[in-house]
Amino acid sequence: MSDWPDQAIDYVQAIHDTKLVLGFRYGQWSLAGPTLEDDIGGSSAAQEEIGHVRQLANELEAQDRDDDWLKGQRDPDEFANAASIDQIDGEWPSYIASIAPADRAAWYLLDAIDQDGLDGLITKMGEDEYFHLEYHDARLETLADEDPETIQQTLEETLPQALAFIGPAAYDDAEDPLLEAGFTDRSIADIRESFIEHYQDLFADTAVSLAAVDWDAPASEEWDETRRRVDSGSISETELKQIRGEENEQFALH
Amino acid sequence: MKYEVFARLNAGDQTTYIGNVTAQSDKLAQMYAHNTFDEEDWDYLAVVRANDVHEVNPDAQPTPEVTPNE
Repeated sequence: MSDWPDQAIDYVQAIHDTKLVLGFRYGQWSLAGPTLEDDIGGSSAAQEEIGHVRQLANELEAQDRDDDWLKGQRDPDEFANAASIDQIDGEWPSYIASIAPADRAAWYLLDAIDQDGLDGLITKMGEDEYFHLEYHDARLETLADEDPETIQQTLEETLPQALAFIGPAAYDDAEDPLLEAGFTDRSIADIRESFIEHYQDLFADTAVSLAAVDWDAPASEEWDETRRRVDSGSISETELKQIRGEENEQFALH
Repeated sequence: MKYEVFARLNAGDQTTYIGNVTAQSDKLAQMYAHNTFDEEDWDYLAVVRANDVHEVNPDAQPTPEVTPNE
């Protein structure tokens, strides 16, 4: 039986969907890294994200979300993943600069949840996320030196998308409905501030300039609260089919 | 840059050498070590730049400053 506010269910759904697509992306790129250690890290992250997805799906089922729908029996435009991971164009530096902001944003949203029944779950996920986020930052620092143009161009697109996923700046201490409902313990505006400060500090002494990033995104009037984005994009139907794994069912043991 | 990796399983155990990783920064070396040597639930895991490991040779002999024939 549902006991969370509707907006809270959408909020957790967006984290779930982002982790589902992140797990897929990590797996997809896990043989493309420049070193074996990068590939091992990507494979580990893929498994961990899918583990998180399963735990969050249990919580969403308890809020009356349908199991099959959660597993992917829905249209691509019903997914509420961060827009930066809808598709990844380019090579490995673009991939890192696309997934890193999405993974960090998802963690900040998750960490803001203030529900007794989810404390243990979120603490365990945080132990995994620490290594995802530290790894991303370490890689972004080396890539900022090796390929600053690609990193800068990609971040100019993916950071505003990640900010849209977090939510609009207008959701401050006075206006954030989930803070007001006691579902979270900090406002979207506070989460945005931490997120923005993190990336500004990370690239402060590098060849990557974030001066052209739209730090004010998203505009409140354009923001889709359910899908946590401003555009109408989505993962492709082909990739959704792969995520669902429906053609693998014939090989499953029953 | 090469990094040596050290670990111990339990607090109080001896810290032992378990292998090495090559990385472009200290932070990246830490992450590589975590991902590569994750077969155990380590109590302690650390990386040291290989260049900062200075061997102490117990068999070393002093070099004579003046040879007998001089």
